[in-house]
Formats: sequence, C-alpha cells, structure tokens
Amino acid sequence: MRQFVLKRFCYSLLSLFLLSVTIFFFVRVTGDPATLLTEPGASEADIAAIHQKFGLDRPLVVQYVLFMTSLFRGDLGQSFYYQTPVMDLYWSRLPHSLLLAAVAMAFSLIIGIPSGIIAAVRIGSFWDSVGKVFALLGLSLPSFFIGLLMILLFSVYLGWLPSSGSGTPLHVIMPAFALGWYFAAAHMRLTRSSMLEVLGSEYIKLARLKGLPQRLVIAKHAFKNALIPVLTLAGINLVLMINVAVIVETVFAWPGIGRLLYEGISFRDFPVVQGVVILGGAMIVAVNLLVDIVYAVIDPRIRLGS
Amino acid sequence: MTRSPGELFAEPFRLHRRDLLALSAAAGLTGALAHRAEAAAPGQLTYAVHISLAASWLDPGETSGLITPFLLLYALHDALVKPMPGTAYGAGLAESWTASEDGLTYDFVLRPNTLFHNGDPVTSDDVKFSFERYRGANHVDLQGRVASIETPDPRHVRFRLKQPWPDFLTFYSGTTGAGWIVPRKHIEKVGEETFKKAPVGAGPFKFVSFNPGIELVLEAFGQYWQKPPPVKRIVMKVIPDEGTRLAALKSGEVDIAYSIRGELAEELRKAPGLKLEAVAVQGTFAVYFPEQWTPSSPWHDIRIRRAVNFAIDHEGINQALTQGYSHVTGSGVVPDMFEFYWQPPKPEYNPDKARKLLAEAGRANGFDAGFYYCDSSYANIGEAVVNNLREVGINVRLRPIERAGFLKGWGEKQYKNLIQIGPGASGNAATRMESLVVKGGQFVYGSYPDIDELFPRQAIELDRAKREAILHRMQELVYEKSLYAPIWQLAFLNGVGPRVEASSFGRIPGFPYTAPYEDITLKSA
Repeated sequence: MRQFVLKRFCYSLLSLFLLSVTIFFFVRVTGDPATLLTEPGASEADIAAIHQKFGLDRPLVVQYVLFMTSLFRGDLGQSFYYQTPVMDLYWSRLPHSLLLAAVAMAFSLIIGIPSGIIAAVRIGSFWDSVGKVFALLGLSLPSFFIGLLMILLFSVYLGWLPSSGSGTPLHVIMPAFALGWYFAAAHMRLTRSSMLEVLGSEYIKLARLKGLPQRLVIAKHAFKNALIPVLTLAGINLVLMINVAVIVETVFAWPGIGRLLYEGISFRDFPVVQGVVILGGAMIVAVNLLVDIVYAVIDPRIRLGS
Repeated sequence: MTRSPGELFAEPFRLHRRDLLALSAAAGLTGALAHRAEAAAPGQLTYAVHISLAASWLDPGETSGLITPFLLLYALHDALVKPMPGTAYGAGLAESWTASEDGLTYDFVLRPNTLFHNGDPVTSDDVKFSFERYRGANHVDLQGRVASIETPDPRHVRFRLKQPWPDFLTFYSGTTGAGWIVPRKHIEKVGEETFKKAPVGAGPFKFVSFNPGIELVLEAFGQYWQKPPPVKRIVMKVIPDEGTRLAALKSGEVDIAYSIRGELAEELRKAPGLKLEAVAVQGTFAVYFPEQWTPSSPWHDIRIRRAVNFAIDHEGINQALTQGYSHVTGSGVVPDMFEFYWQPPKPEYNPDKARKLLAEAGRANGFDAGFYYCDSSYANIGEAVVNNLREVGINVRLRPIERAGFLKGWGEKQYKNLIQIGPGASGNAATRMESLVVKGGQFVYGSYPDIDELFPRQAIELDRAKREAILHRMQELVYEKSLYAPIWQLAFLNGVGPRVEASSFGRIPGFPYTAPYEDITLKSA
C-alpha cells in the first residue's frame, strides 16, 4: 500500500511540474504585457522600464528558475496589473469561489439526483422525457446565456435580485443557478444511467422477488449503490466549479477565482495566470490522488494491479 | 391572556409548509427591498466600472501611460496644474505659474490653506517629493530634463531645466502623474506599502476601502480647497460584462455605467429614464499604409491611398457603431482636443471618386489588397471599413488580432498591406507625431524627409506661435501625402441613471470619465 501511495504521489508531483512548465511558457507566447499596461504610442523607454520592473528582460530560463524558486517558498510572485502578491489576491477571492461552488453544487445535486432517479425508475414515461429535455438543455445552453436571461428577468424586470456583485445571500442565487445548471444536467444523466444499471442487477431482482416494496428497493438497495459514481463525479466537479467558473463569475461580477483568471488572461498578467492555474491544478491533482488512495483502500485489486 | 416568555418557549415549536413559504417570501421581499435601498442610498453615487481597478492607480507615483488611472486620480488626488474644463492647463493646487523667457525655469505658487486628507498642509516640499518619487510613464525623460527643484518657502516651487523644453508643462500636468501631489511626511511615516494600500491625497474624495479588481469606496473630503463635493460617497463596482453593467443601470443598482457600446448603446438610448452620455476621447482611428514607401506596392501610389479615404463611409459607420457620437475630423493621428491640432478638410464619402482614382492608377478592375490588420477589440470598425473598401474593388481580408499580439506586431513592424491603428496616448500634436509619423518613431514603418526635417525644429522652438506653425505644417503634410486614411476619433459611450443631475462627462476635453468629481450632483429626493 505504501508503495502504491508513494508511486501515486510521485505521479502527482510530476503532473504539477509539467503543468508549471506548460503554463509558464504558454502564457509567454500570448503577447507582451507591457503593451497592455501602456497606451499605444508609449515610448520605448517606458516599455523597457516595465520589462525591467517585472523581470521580463531576462532570459526565459532564468525567469522560470526564479519562478520555481519562489514557488517552493510558497510565493507566486507579484501581479503585474494589481501590483500585489498573487497569493493575497488568490486568498481574497477563494472564499467567494468556495461559497459559489458550494451553493451551485447543492443546487445541482438537489435537482440532478432526484430527477435522475425519477427518470430511471419511470423509464420511457413522461417524466423520463422531461428529464432528457432538461439534460439536453443543461448541457447545451451556455451558462452566460442562462445568466443574462436571469439578470433580465430577476433584476431588470422584476427587481428581485441584484444583477451582480456579492455581499448578501441574494447575490449568490443567480450565479449559483447559472453555474449549477450545467452540472445539474450532468448529475441527472449520470444518476439515471447509474440507477438503470443498478436496477437491472441480480440483487435488485432478488430484493423484488422477496417482495420488498418498490420504495424500499429504490431507496435502500438501489440508490445507495448508484450514488457512488455520482458523488465521485460531484467531487471532481466541485473542484472545477471553484477554479473555472470564469464565464459565470465574469457575467455576474462575482469576485471569485474564475474572474481573477479572466483578468489575468486579459491583461497578460503572467504571475496571476500561473498562480491560478497551478493552484487549481494542485487542487485537482490532490483530489485525484485522494480518490486513487480511497479506491485502493476499498478495492485491493487496484493497488495489487498497479 | 398574556403568557410568560418561559411559557412561550415551553410550547412545542411546529413549522408548517405554509410558514416556510411565508418566511421565504418575506425574506426574499426584504432582501429585494434592501438591495434596492442599497443602490439608492442618499448622497451616494454608484458606478459600474468597465475595467478592473488596480491598487497602483491609487498612487500618482505609479501612473502608467494609460488614461484609466486618471479615473481615480481626479477623485483622490490633486495636481499643481491639470486638464480641467475648457483648458489643458487648469489651476489645481497651484494658483499661478510662470515660465522664464529662456524656457529654463518654471515657477509655481501654491494656493494657501490647501490640505491633505489627513489634515497636513500641502507644501512645496510635497511638490518636490512627489516629482522625485515619480516612477511612472516617461519618468526617465521628464526627470532627466530637470536640473534642480528649489523650494524657497512652503508656497513656492521652482523647476530648473537643463535645456529649454517647450513640452515641460504638457508632460508635468497632463501626460504623467508627476505633478499630482502626495504627502511626504505621511508617506515617510507610514511607509510606501501602507500608503499604496490606503492612500492619502489632496483631492475632493478620500479613501475608505479598496478590494483590488472588485470595489473602491470613497468619501467626500469636506475641506477640499475648491468646495465640499455635493456627492457624499462614491462606490465604484467593477462589472466586466457590458450587458450586466446596463442591467445594473436599468435596475437602479448603479447610477453611472461606463462603456456601453454598439447595440447595447442603442438600447440604452431608448431606455426610459436613462441617458446616453458620450465623450470623444483622444483615440484616433485610421488606416495606415505600411507599404507606401515600397515602389512595387500599389500603396506607393498616392491615388490609391486617396481612394481608400473616399471609400470609407465615416458617418455611416459612426451612426452604426457609436450612435453618431464619434468625431469625424479627417485627422488620422492627432485628436482635435490636443494642443497644436490642425484641422484638415472633413473627409468625403464618395465611392465614385474612389473608383475613378483607382482607374487612374490602373486598377479599374480592383485588386487584391491582402490583409487588413486590427486589434480584435475594434474588429467591428475594421469589418465596416473592409466592406467599404470591397465595394470599390479593394479586396482586403480582415485579420483581427488579440490586443496584446496586435500591439506587439504593430510596434515590431511585422505587418504589411493595411493596418487599422487607434493610438490613445496623452500628449500633444508633437508627441503623437513623434511615435506615428516621424522617422524612428515606435510605430513608423517609413517616413518623409520634409516632415522629419520639421520635427527637431519645433522641439526647440520657444516661440509658441512659430512652434504651432511648424506643427500645423507637419500635420498638413501628413494629410497631403495621405500617410493615413482617417476613420474617426472614437466616442466613449456611457449610461447615466435617473438620480444623477450633472455627471461631469465630457467637461474635460478628451477625458473619458466623469471629472471634476467635485462638480457632480445628484437630484434631490
């Protein structure tokens, strides 16, 4: 087991290292941040001063070594645009992203799981069709479109909810719905297929043959087993919601990490983009590592097979 | 019958579904009313800002070459001399100033009894400190030209230059943040880092709180030298999405929404109770011909360059994209509010003349003109121009490039065929032509000796009238040679809500934001 964990841990570190190399060099081919920090027509001396100030005049390899050295000290560098430490910016935005992701996840599970169960239990019925349409809309309608429709309805016409920003429980409703909408559809689809698989299994047939009521078969025997892949997916989705809600956070001016990433990309703020991507990547790698370890604990075949 | 509190709590608490529904409705209604009340707080002016506010913009010492930091500087700080309504050199903290005849000395007299937000008086020592501390745009050039700064007493400052420099005041008062005054004693006491996080200035509003990229809150400074601002509190909320900004304005959450363009601007114009207020900014848009110095290129022929000018439907594009508020000046490089601006003849939209010129140049059947490079943020202008050019037979393909990449390629002279330019840097006619027209300029692909020869002459000319004549002649030559085909001077469109009486938009020529802040008023309830 120890060997398995160690091996997985090394893979995780390697993934993070490759991510750091990729993002570091990738952002640098997207353009010169100095041109966005000045008006077109700025003097060459000003451009050179900006390069010097941010260390962009040094060779790329030197920049990378300095970046990695700082990273090992827990320092993600100074934002070019905000001129404050990236870590401070990240920590100031993280609570907002956690809140939004938590509410969006709750919404997606509350909608997705029951509708998935109903669709599976009443397969081929009207409710199954409703579920399919919901899943289709959820996966195909972009979140920004949903967001703008909601802003028009609930902020402009009805005046019930604030159109943007944060600070009160009312502020989180629309962005959480817009963010959770897609994931609700994904959770609905997975719950439905997982339930269908479980409902067709031998032990469920046995439970029915024993004369157990339908409700008990569904709730006690089928649902619990069908829930495992849904919750695994939900865990990964939660990490995604925290880190990549770029469009929803931008549309609703929600002060989260997704919006920070959007700002970083817009202004070629290399340290911000690097920081957000690496921390987001670390979260995903950590969750995957945890899942691998839990699976290995539950199922010895996994660790022995590895 | 009355019951004691103990009895009340002893009773089993039962919550019914209808109670839950009623509670939810009440909470929703209360919340909705609260969010309405927040927006309409008396004396508070709420902005929806289009761009992320950076901490460095709170400090004049870090002013980049962008116009955007001045959005905050006009509120928080004050300058000795600054662009104000009707003048590029408005008296701020200096009540008067003089330049010596030899152009080597500038004397400023400070107003009496002006205060920083912490109560410290503004002195000549602060002026000297602010200049020497400045590390923003053009600081090397500006500080390199100053030999010494003398402060004979708290109200007098003398700048001695190494050589005469007619543009000293242009740079000191408008183009840079060097003339915006910060409190020396306070900064030395609290340190640079603390000052940057909670700046103290001498402007009409004082700092309350700032969440980088999210929200800035300011409060009126009652002892501002000019007058106490009528608006008591300013909240600037960053809302990146244009549609959301308009929605926030319509729902009354904000009073002023910056940058509402295109179709949304049309919607804003029609919305009851809202006003569309436009400001023509210093960004001049034009088509540049980088191959005009290449004899084998069609763009070498001035008739073809002129044909482009006749082919562009300036007013039509203006109406379609900026509701007719952009300035169609005919100047491709220098905006009309700049010092030493020369007014060229207004451009004429005449496709027949364009076709005739093309025929005279041996291109009666049109020709393949390659690519039309532009900043993708302004690809909508490019699309319209490309369509106009195709109508007369100049077949060009639009090549929008993301802003940073476009500016890099333009500055590094990588493009051929046609380039849509939109320079927005502050300055005057001389500084604008230095980077776009004169040999060696950052965006100059080639130049004309007769124009180049005039540039150094104006740079040392101390007689203003003579200098103006030289700079006018240079602009005239740019026009005659069709060095650029002008499009327009861009209008910045904004939304103003029903609570605002006077927004201050457009009062300072070329300044895209609301200033002076002390003149903004709200309607009384």
